[in-house]
Amino acid sequence: METKVSLRVQQAAFKSDLIESVGWSRGKESYAFSINLRRKDFSFEHKVRANPFELTIDLKSADEPGEIAPPVREAAMAETPGDATALPPVVRPAGAQEPRKFWTIVVDPGHGGLETGAKGKFGALEKDITLAISLKLRDIVEKNQAFRVFLTRDKDTDVSLENRSALANNHKADLFISVHANGSMRKNARGSETYFLSLNATDEESRRLAYMENTSSVLEAQIEPENQDDVKMILWDLAQSAYLKQSSLLAEKIQAGLNELLGTLDRGVKQAPFKVLTGVACPAVLVETAFISNPEEEKDLGSEEFQDNVARAIYLSLVEYFKSYS
Amino acid sequence: MTTKKWLVLAGLVIILAVLVLILFNGGEREKIKHETELSSPNAPSAPRETAGTRMITLFFLSEDDDLLHPEEREVPAGPTLTDDLETTVVELIKGSAKDLIPPFPPETKVRQIFVTKDGVAYVDLTKEVMENFAYGSSSEMAAVYALVDTLAVNFKNVKKVSLLIEGGERETLGGHIDLSRPLSPQYSLIAK
Repeated sequence: METKVSLRVQQAAFKSDLIESVGWSRGKESYAFSINLRRKDFSFEHKVRANPFELTIDLKSADEPGEIAPPVREAAMAETPGDATALPPVVRPAGAQEPRKFWTIVVDPGHGGLETGAKGKFGALEKDITLAISLKLRDIVEKNQAFRVFLTRDKDTDVSLENRSALANNHKADLFISVHANGSMRKNARGSETYFLSLNATDEESRRLAYMENTSSVLEAQIEPENQDDVKMILWDLAQSAYLKQSSLLAEKIQAGLNELLGTLDRGVKQAPFKVLTGVACPAVLVETAFISNPEEEKDLGSEEFQDNVARAIYLSLVEYFKSYS
Repeated sequence: MTTKKWLVLAGLVIILAVLVLILFNGGEREKIKHETELSSPNAPSAPRETAGTRMITLFFLSEDDDLLHPEEREVPAGPTLTDDLETTVVELIKGSAKDLIPPFPPETKVRQIFVTKDGVAYVDLTKEVMENFAYGSSSEMAAVYALVDTLAVNFKNVKKVSLLIEGGERETLGGHIDLSRPLSPQYSLIAK
């Protein structure tokens, strides 16, 4: 009789001083689940629960005899003062080996190069506005030592949508923010809105993703070894599906920030299958700052003051996000 | 001469009457059959068919809001499903007869349409669809979902729509909405 093995693999990227990586492989008659550690001085306990089967492994480094250290991000956030503009301190919470030094933010200026994006009546191009705002956003965020910023482009060049998400994943980004200016065929369309991904998955993918959503960033893989590479690729392609909850929260924060600082019409938080978000393996949003197709807002989008306000609104929102969510 | 002309004319009238009768009755049967087929709970309005033509519902953006508004149109029917699909997409590209907003550049042509067994309609358009508009997120969504919703509402065989350009897959129309997977209709975008 054939036994089917179902593995649930944590897909969310994590950082640990102790654990380097987690993986699994299939031998001739067994499956092996491996945890690669960075150091030798550790101890572990394990608990097994049946129905549903659950194996919990508690790993401790030797120099923390007591409880498992709290997640470093949580500990650091608890110390953050109430003032949103203040820098979250880079402190070493007791018990943690090496606290994380920063969060990595990837800012994605929409379009670029030959791909201009939407156009305004007075000639403004979406690609130029998004770059100007993104550069300002980088400058503000970088002043806070708790953050490290990467841009998917810092000049007027073509960058494929895949490379944008790949850059975020390669830098192990904690947040991905794509900056855009909206365009509509409606003359009156105006206002700001923030998007997170809506899935445009095939039925087979949806089935798997429905499970993932229910188990929150835990992935079920029932994979024949010969198909493993294919399946991994598909899952990578839809990496964002594991972060929809956090992404929606980030979108709420950013939309609230835009509403407070910009004075534009609040078009709210929306979902759509944006290509640039699908492969991003961290919370990710796409911000439509205002309508370049609306002559009044086109003027706004070109002004330093408005661009500064967009950058400040997004910055304050992501500080808020890290405070409320960890 | 005049008597002959009258006779010919009378003969033509009789033939025409018979034809109309046949067609009308055929149309009636067709209509009933069609309506039962198309009674989908998701479809806001089921198209009706009359002899030689069928009623379709096209969806266009309006100046008033960000929603897709229905516009009914009588178009030649058949003979095949593919013909009906093509007619519908051509009419959609032609744009509104009222003052609703066209989703695609009007120069866009339909290259080919086919429907797979599992209900994915592949709509292959010429490159004008990408080149002649500078899409923003809103106009790209309006374009894509005007097409997807129009086909899903009018054809029960169509569950999803995949957009091809010049015979090939494209990531997006203008850098926003993902075209690499077939798109499901978004009925929430249709005006109530």
